Amino acid sequence: MTLVGKKSFIVMTILIPFLILIVGCIPVLLSYINSTADTSVTRIAVIDETGRYSGALKDNDNYRFIRLSGQKVDNPHDFYIAADESIDAVMVIPSGVEESQQVNLYSEKTLGHNTLSYLSRCLDDTLQRAKIAAMGDPDLFTKMEQAQVNTQVKNIKWDEQGDEQEQSAGMASVIGMILAFLTYTFVLSYGAMIMNSVVEEKTNRIVEVIVSSCKPMELMMGKIIGVGLVGLTQFAIWVVLLSIGAALLGLVGGTSMAANPEAVTAGMNLPSGAEVSTLSEITTAIASINWFSLLGNFVIYFIGGYLLYASLFAGFGSAVDQASDSSQFTLPIILIMVIALYAGIACIDNPGGPMAEWCSIIPFTSPIVMMVRLPFDVPWWQLLLSIVLLYGTALLCIWISARIYRTGILLYGKKRSFKEVLKWVK
Amino acid sequence: MNFIDVNSVVKQYDGHLALDHVDLHVPQGCIYGLLGPNGAGKTSLIRIINRITRADSGSVFINGREMEQKDIANIGYLPEERGLYKKIKVADEIVYLARLKGMPKKIAVAEMEKWLERFNLTEWKGRKVEELSKGMQQKVQFITTVIHRPQLLIFDEPFSGFDPVNAEQLKREIMLLRDEGATILFSTHNMASVEEICEQITLINHSRVVLEGRVDDIKQSHKKNLFVVDVAGGKKVEAKDGLFKVVPDALKQGTVIKLDDGVMLRDAIAWLNDNYTLTGITEQLPSMNEIFIETVKQ
Repeated sequence: MTLVGKKSFIVMTILIPFLILIVGCIPVLLSYINSTADTSVTRIAVIDETGRYSGALKDNDNYRFIRLSGQKVDNPHDFYIAADESIDAVMVIPSGVEESQQVNLYSEKTLGHNTLSYLSRCLDDTLQRAKIAAMGDPDLFTKMEQAQVNTQVKNIKWDEQGDEQEQSAGMASVIGMILAFLTYTFVLSYGAMIMNSVVEEKTNRIVEVIVSSCKPMELMMGKIIGVGLVGLTQFAIWVVLLSIGAALLGLVGGTSMAANPEAVTAGMNLPSGAEVSTLSEITTAIASINWFSLLGNFVIYFIGGYLLYASLFAGFGSAVDQASDSSQFTLPIILIMVIALYAGIACIDNPGGPMAEWCSIIPFTSPIVMMVRLPFDVPWWQLLLSIVLLYGTALLCIWISARIYRTGILLYGKKRSFKEVLKWVK
Repeated sequence: MNFIDVNSVVKQYDGHLALDHVDLHVPQGCIYGLLGPNGAGKTSLIRIINRITRADSGSVFINGREMEQKDIANIGYLPEERGLYKKIKVADEIVYLARLKGMPKKIAVAEMEKWLERFNLTEWKGRKVEELSKGMQQKVQFITTVIHRPQLLIFDEPFSGFDPVNAEQLKREIMLLRDEGATILFSTHNMASVEEICEQITLINHSRVVLEGRVDDIKQSHKKNLFVVDVAGGKKVEAKDGLFKVVPDALKQGTVIKLDDGVMLRDAIAWLNDNYTLTGITEQLPSMNEIFIETVKQ
């Protein structure tokens, strides 16, 4: 009850979705700024000693080329000085460039990667054509173009009736990873919240008053369930706000993005040549996932994982007097969670492999790793075994933590070791 | 009729025996003192009575039947280490803790108003607990202990942290609660307050009960034939061999004498009358403080 009333908590609940939206928009915005806001024009003098290739360099909004075909310049620097700042750089295309494949670009200022790659793209195509032409077969270029192959492998999944369904492995991985991260962040942050609350009640000594009104076990479970429900509510608010925000953003930004798709993909840092899924492909991929079972299982694992870790945080939290002493107990718990997260990331490449199978059955890692596997079909017996193990272990952890908690909340004074704390379980 | 009966309770922590077959019998409507030096086992016993911890063996009866978990709603407990949620408002704190004891919200709010009024805290109702002075926080804590009108009140060092004026008010409130029918178990080392308000006591030392009974009876049984003698003319009373010795006591107005073994009081009075002008003689009973120190030192 102290938590929800806090102003900072309410503010964060409302602000977080906006922060996420803003962070999500940054790449798009950056690429937009890069492509449009940069109106400065780089003027490049091209000294083409071959006299054949300067035409390959096309002027556009950002580059203007001053072509000096067939001329030979001894010293590009003198030429630059003579131009008296009417140019920004001097490019020298030497004779024999077909073999050396190297041109020099002289400038006072360092020119960006974008500039160099633009120049290189312009020259590549022309130089390639020239080389092919030199081989003497006039049709060779056309033949080569025709021979180009780009094989797409489509995963078509059979459902129970044997009907075919398209599946996008990429989309499934992304969804799995999002779920895994959600579980990880939620369990970690709310687990820490529970621990702080336990330590706080112990530090300000109210815990003795409270346990004279209810059982320690009730207090601990009340705390875990209460914080869990607060978390889920907060989470639901985020999802709603995020979808509203995303929808609004989609309306505003959709048109500009559609007008400038290259900028968007460049902003997302996709390697050039990567196949960009069209909107319809993404929609089919999303539709192909069994959302009902996915979200159902997500909730089951989410609750199980939360109970498991939250009870550990509560139990070990009760063993310390001050929040600053808690690290010796939180570190192992956090370490296990980080391992689980890394295992989850590693399992993306092979969600059906032995590591993924084991880690999704071991209860301490399963809430995170199983998220990665869920969008791909998991054999029902593995799912069942893993859920039974998870909830069994969660109950065991609650039992152990309750026993530690019962003793820990009333003991003050010296710092306790891990071993001592485990003795309280008996 | 006893309200609380603790029978032969044993509690052990990690090889240390905290309570060794302790008995405690608190009559209904009594202010009962639970005394003992630090570490004697008072807090362990209290925690067993209000079911925070469980005894290894022995039993606790309330009102003639074995105590159950639901009985804790009928207990008000003020621990020695006071504690409140610091960041919430006074009113919320009181209502929350009252509801934990099973009070319906409406009644809890009404009772809270009454108690705040009684302790002159009404204007602080909307403030956060951490903004209150220590004395005010103590009062809030006292209110949270008694608001649900429990039949058993357990106070662990209730007067620590109170100035004399507030301590006096607290004492009055405790008496008032007793008059309304509550049984009060009161743990302390403050012997002055024990003499003032406790009717009966149990003294625990080294995990065992070493003394118990009515305060008056205990004093009687510990008396040492000491008398305070007042004589006219400001004369100094000298010791008389075979009758009494003079005990130095700077605090008393008259002279304190200690009768020799077997000497009757009237013989001493007769001799004093013959040699001085005796204006008064009163028996000096030992203070609880002396009895406490004497018993604990044994």
